[in-house]
Amino acid sequence: MKKVVILSLATILVLSFFVSCKKEVAQAPPPPPQVTEQPQPKVETPPVKEEPQLTEQEMFMRKTLEEINAEKPLSLIHFDFDKYFVREDAKSILQQNAAWMKKFTSSKILIEGHCDERGTEEYNMALGEKRAKAAMDYLISLGIGADRVKIVSYGKSQPLDPGHNEGAWDMNRRGQFVVIGK
Amino acid sequence: MKKTILALLVFMVFTCLLLPQQEYVLRIQKGMPSIPLAIPDFLVRGDSAELQQAAADIHTVFQADMAYSRIFNPLPANYYKWIRALDTNDLHFKDWESIQARLLVVGEVSQEGADILFEAKVYDVRSERFIFGKRYQAEKSLLREAAHRLSNEIMRIHGETEIFTTKIVFVSNRDGNDEIYMMDYDGYNQTRLTFNTLKDYMPAWTTDGKGVAFTSYRDQRAELRILYPWEGRVTTLDAQGTNWAPNFSADGKKLAFSSTLIAGNSEIYTADADGKNIKRLTINNAADTAPCWSPTSRQMAFTSDRSGTPQIYTMDAEGSNVRRVSFGGTYHDAPAWSPDGDRIAYVSRVDQIFDIYILNLSSQQIIKLTESYARNESPTWSPDGRHVIFTSTRSGTIQIYSMDYDGKNVRKLTSQGENKLPDWSR
Repeated sequence: MKKVVILSLATILVLSFFVSCKKEVAQAPPPPPQVTEQPQPKVETPPVKEEPQLTEQEMFMRKTLEEINAEKPLSLIHFDFDKYFVREDAKSILQQNAAWMKKFTSSKILIEGHCDERGTEEYNMALGEKRAKAAMDYLISLGIGADRVKIVSYGKSQPLDPGHNEGAWDMNRRGQFVVIGK
Repeated sequence: MKKTILALLVFMVFTCLLLPQQEYVLRIQKGMPSIPLAIPDFLVRGDSAELQQAAADIHTVFQADMAYSRIFNPLPANYYKWIRALDTNDLHFKDWESIQARLLVVGEVSQEGADILFEAKVYDVRSERFIFGKRYQAEKSLLREAAHRLSNEIMRIHGETEIFTTKIVFVSNRDGNDEIYMMDYDGYNQTRLTFNTLKDYMPAWTTDGKGVAFTSYRDQRAELRILYPWEGRVTTLDAQGTNWAPNFSADGKKLAFSSTLIAGNSEIYTADADGKNIKRLTINNAADTAPCWSPTSRQMAFTSDRSGTPQIYTMDAEGSNVRRVSFGGTYHDAPAWSPDGDRIAYVSRVDQIFDIYILNLSSQQIIKLTESYARNESPTWSPDGRHVIFTSTRSGTIQIYSMDYDGKNVRKLTSQGENKLPDWSR
């Protein structure tokens, strides 16, 4: 009987030794990952400091067309009732638009010709086209390459101001500029 | 469309149809009094409420068609109270003659499985003769179509153009942006045809009514596309610039349209009906637009500002023989050549008000059709030349209206969103 008790105590001792050894091994690994993670943010910080060094051209190239157009770099121009010639007040705006195109030499634009509701649908399409063409011709006369400008007419189908008064009509007779290439 | 045709099994009931049809010759000219038509309530063979309703619906649509025709004149409903009730076994023709009826339409509605069976017989009251009969089996959703088919049949018997199953295509912004829609001639069944976020504009039916040409704004330009909605197919015209105002010739062979292929100036071009083989017709510095074929397909009306202001001109299909036909105004546009070839409907602007006029080409007489302090434009003829559909801002927004060739019977067809640029199929 004594032998049995001694043997079983011995096996328990041996087993408990092994178990305690395993615990020590299991507890040891966790710390290393925490240590390796810490240095990484320090490595990431330097590139951020380089960004302000980009030129205006590089900034332009980095933006999407949507982002460029959202900034409205090109102002719209307005026309007289039933007319499509470029007004004096529109010339200075077109000069600014031309200057922008000269600055960003790879840019391409679309000029949309729009009319007010006081013309008929079909004839307004022709008039809108003439307005866009007049604006394009003026930009070309300022030295912008014809291959950088496209035109389209919307007639009276896309008013900026939905009103039915002089103010709305003035607003809606317009040439509108969209950047379509860079 | 195929489904409609399949669902509507139309067949002649009486084989002896041809003989009475030949004897019955009655051609009504414009200005002649219309034919009084007795349309007593349709008889219902069955007692379900649904069947009662179906009979009433078909009756309403058919009666409205006949009233719209300007050829037939349905008698007022109270006239029927003055005579004996309709008896299909003994029609008492003298009764119908006493209330001035020239024609009597007897309709019977019954159930045929899930479908509705609609049978109509048309009699000449004075000669006490049966003229023709038709039987239509239709799904419940197509009862209007069944009524329109019967209306067409009555038009056909009288040598008139069948207008009641024609469709109107138009532009609506009811779903957010300008898309192409179509509807029945009476404004019912408004259905969307294009589904995109782009602007679709200025639709026109192909001659056979199976396709719609329209301007689509995409890829930084306004291109012309031809959509065949029942085939689910689209073709695009290979033309640069801004393209608009498509119009197919009556013979179905040619498409005319405005284009700025040469940047900046609108000229008139033609193409084959499938959009290929594009040819230029007008060559000048003025804006030429809004082409519209004559019913012979040998001429074209169009708008040009070659005189300094937009005016209506005609020319031969090859571009020669140009003649100015509008005078006495400073702004004319949107010519629509009538199906009989005699008249051109157009828009005239005076003091920023647009009104629709009709020019009679042989008499040079001009009739003003609209009289409202609004912008009335985009006229398009019914295939029989008795009606003009147009747009007007008289209600505050742009909506589509119908009126007769003399400006009478104005009715509004649309109300959801803004609706414009209608084109009536042939």
